[in-house]
Amino acid sequence: MRQLSGPRGAGVVALVTALALTGCGRDEGTSTEEEPAGKVAGGKASGDITVWALGAEGEKLGEIAKDFEAENPDAKVKVTVIPFDAAHNKISTAIAGGQTPDVTTVGTTWLPEFAATGALDATPTDLIDPSAFFEGSWATTEVDGTSMGVPWYTETRLIYYRKDLAEKAGVTPEDGWSQEDLKAFAKGLQDKAGAKWGINLQPGGQGSWQTYMPFAWQRGAEIVDGEEFAFNTEPMQEALAYYASFFEEGISPTDLAEGALETGFINGDIGAFVSGPWHMGILRDQGGAGFEDKWALAPMPTEESSTSFTGGGDLVVFKDAKNRDAAWKFVDFLTQPEQQQKLYELVGSLPAVQSTWETGELSTDPLLTAFGDQLQDATSSPAIETWEQVTAPLDDAIEQVSLGQSDPEGALSKAEQEANSIGFGS
Amino acid sequence: MASLTAGGAAPSTRRRSRPGRRRELVAGYLFALPFLALFVVFTVGPVLASFGMSFTDLRSSDVRNPLAVEAVGLKHYTDLFADETFRQAAFNTAYFVVIGVPLTMGLALAVAVGLNSGITRFKAFFRVGYYLPVVTSIVAVAVVWRFLLEPDSGLVNTMLGYAGIDGPSWLNSPTWAMPSMIVMAAWRNMGYLVVIFLAGLQLVPKEMHEAAAIDGAGAWNRFRHITLPMLRPTLLFGAVITMIGYLQFFEEPFVMTQGGPLDKTLSVAYYTYNQFGFGNYSYAAAMAYVLFVVIALVTAVQFRVLGRRD
Amino acid sequence: MTTTRPELPAVPAGTRPAAPTPRRATRRPAGFGEPTAQPWIYVVLTGGLVLLVGPFLWMLLGSFRPDRELKQVPPAWLPQDPTLENYRNLFDRLDFPTYFFNSAVVALAITLGNLVFCSMLGYALAKLDFPGKRVIFVLVLATLMVPGVVTFVPLFVLVSNMGMVNTFPGLIFPFLAGPFGVFLMRQFIQSLPDELIHAARVDGAGEWRIFRSIILPLCKPALATLGILTFLTSWNNFLWPLVVAQSEEKYTLPVALAIYAIGENRSDYGLLMAGSVVIILPVLVVFLLLQRHFVRGIAMTGIK
Repeated sequence: MRQLSGPRGAGVVALVTALALTGCGRDEGTSTEEEPAGKVAGGKASGDITVWALGAEGEKLGEIAKDFEAENPDAKVKVTVIPFDAAHNKISTAIAGGQTPDVTTVGTTWLPEFAATGALDATPTDLIDPSAFFEGSWATTEVDGTSMGVPWYTETRLIYYRKDLAEKAGVTPEDGWSQEDLKAFAKGLQDKAGAKWGINLQPGGQGSWQTYMPFAWQRGAEIVDGEEFAFNTEPMQEALAYYASFFEEGISPTDLAEGALETGFINGDIGAFVSGPWHMGILRDQGGAGFEDKWALAPMPTEESSTSFTGGGDLVVFKDAKNRDAAWKFVDFLTQPEQQQKLYELVGSLPAVQSTWETGELSTDPLLTAFGDQLQDATSSPAIETWEQVTAPLDDAIEQVSLGQSDPEGALSKAEQEANSIGFGS
Repeated sequence: MASLTAGGAAPSTRRRSRPGRRRELVAGYLFALPFLALFVVFTVGPVLASFGMSFTDLRSSDVRNPLAVEAVGLKHYTDLFADETFRQAAFNTAYFVVIGVPLTMGLALAVAVGLNSGITRFKAFFRVGYYLPVVTSIVAVAVVWRFLLEPDSGLVNTMLGYAGIDGPSWLNSPTWAMPSMIVMAAWRNMGYLVVIFLAGLQLVPKEMHEAAAIDGAGAWNRFRHITLPMLRPTLLFGAVITMIGYLQFFEEPFVMTQGGPLDKTLSVAYYTYNQFGFGNYSYAAAMAYVLFVVIALVTAVQFRVLGRRD
Repeated sequence: MTTTRPELPAVPAGTRPAAPTPRRATRRPAGFGEPTAQPWIYVVLTGGLVLLVGPFLWMLLGSFRPDRELKQVPPAWLPQDPTLENYRNLFDRLDFPTYFFNSAVVALAITLGNLVFCSMLGYALAKLDFPGKRVIFVLVLATLMVPGVVTFVPLFVLVSNMGMVNTFPGLIFPFLAGPFGVFLMRQFIQSLPDELIHAARVDGAGEWRIFRSIILPLCKPALATLGILTFLTSWNNFLWPLVVAQSEEKYTLPVALAIYAIGENRSDYGLLMAGSVVIILPVLVVFLLLQRHFVRGIAMTGIK
């Protein structure tokens, strides 16, 4: 059978490729700096504003938008809900095809990547005040010192634990407890309260860096050093050795089936685990009546700091937005404390605006205030374009050390090498 | 009236001019036209564009100015072969294909022959049943298969336990993860092939079987000398389609193992998908075209072995 | 009607098979020339069937269970707390009629288009002679071998430049010319005897008439197969409709289901199961309608 490499085929391909490439070439002259953020005209918003919203928040956004339309009678907000699954795909393809809306929600870890395409509009500093937000959340919008979006909702990680088992074992978590205290706590749940596993941690695999990195940050680790990645530093190694010791000492399972976490926590096989605010709802739904009293939240341990991971969703406006001014006004509206409160009530997402936490349930419910407190000391991954790709070698290192196949220094040095060969992107 | 000598005439050896040859030519183009018009615009165009892309350093950050990229020639292609993860993915893919294709085809053929051999009752029922894995949502499939392969309470290990064997943690074991994927894929894709083989089996005239049976040929012999040869175009089609599909296998590791453990179930297609996700568009394109070349070569071999001489 | 006894051409193993003589399938339940199939075949097939149908059954049963029950590990089979809430959710929260309509229009259009265009080209490649025929076949086959993921973005840019984003043409056109269909039809038609065509030509029939009245009826099994497979793929297509639709009125069912059932950190399995069951039903209906054609006897157009 003849391949496409026959004379005719090759000729066509060569011609097209040549044509395509003649127009190519990076223009080394253009600066890659962002233009300063444009100002937003005053007055009320008008015209159509197209908004993409993800998943559950998206469904409710229409309701919140009605209040905006009431305040700005000439404006109409058109919300299109897109599935969380594949939203990343949809947004990047839309950017490629020039089919972006005015506003969209993005996951915090996606923002640097989209910013690198040049498709995002810088946040107008005359409209939005950074200090209103949690520091960690605002940092997720900053790329090369310029903010390219606004935090909308946030999340952070805490330690969920079985209160009743802890009582039985006679151990309690405390504010300011150390990493070793945490380990002793988990072990206590196992030895003295009959839990099969003291605490569940992710033994490598996609996303495990989000569970591991807090322990490294608590020891003062910095992921990035100038223009390079710094994985193979002492705090990182120590933290990884600490992390892996949970598996070595049989405190954490290395092989938990999908869905077994919630079941295990509810029936007492698992004494504790690390996760974000969404698990509150899951445990309420699955635990059934009376389970609510059996668990509580513990803060992250403290070494040099008690930093946890923060994520959530940011709002971004596109440069090609057809209605830029109104779009930013809408974004500003969404980040007012009343709207943030409404978002919490409708969807359950934690507000990124600090003052929202001063009233209502967010200031009184112990579970929620635990998250609120942790948000004061939470950070995210570096705002670089290639971060998603760089997490793969890091996750691999975590996996290898957790499963006892490598020592921390060897694994981290390998990961660092790979990460640096990927680099920071263009 | 054309004489009906055994073997029939090969269509393409009629180079002699015949009445209506020109008509045939016009007809040929006219029949081809609607398809080709759509095809060239919507398929060939993007393929050529992405092929060209693989020779540049285009990333996701360049999509708004796709022409402002550097041409890098064969750099991505050479980088691929130095890429350890790619080599692992290539090995995994080869492993998957070499075992998976014969397994799936063998099972599907057996089922198709079985379904065709005079099952009078519940015909439709069986056919629908065998086709169900193909249409069942991958989420349901994943849940059930994870349950089956659960190390402690899963069905497979429980059954093995009865036989005194201590089954491994299938999805987490670097050795057993891939075989699990293969079995799952065979199970899932059998239905496509059963449907296709059934269609092909209709071309096998029952009288030939009857006549041969009368002459004393046993079932297996009849299968080998009558069914299989008649089935050749269909088998070729099935083999090519399955091979093409399996060389690009993606869904099973995507939902079950995310390429793990330690990249042991990472396929080339999955790795390409990841690279697209990272924004390395041109690198991913190069990888896709390397895969394409492999698929083309393998298909060519299959045509040679199983195909008609044109 | 007469049943003709065909000649049995000598078929040395390894050569091109002789074109089989088409004949009407008799009512004899013959398989390999034996009366009805042996019981053991039923047993084995049923055993296999149980294995294959398992997940579907689990999905079906699961759609009647509340989400929290579904998340238990290990998954139980029978609903402990059967409920219709998933289906109620499905029809309340989703604008079902719109999404169903969109999915139906898109899938039917793509299926019909493929059936027509691919059989035409498949016939041309299999039985007509014209220059460039081989190149076309190679080109079609080649694109079948290109991993789809790589053409996704260029295709979207193209469709976007053509102004077809968020339109039905944008959802349909890129898939109307499927290389798979051409390959399938060509292989199948190749096995049909040329004598039919020669005879018809001698009788003065036009090319289109030959195609429509002689070839197509003989192709029922292949057309049925292509129809089902194309319908299945286009009905379940998720990524392309997601990317092409800019407003919810153009969403198809799989996209809509993903929005409501799959969240950032938690998924509603109950809704997902119910949605998946509902999404499968049309495919099964199409399958049931078409599957009798798999074995419908090749219409008699006796040569002799």
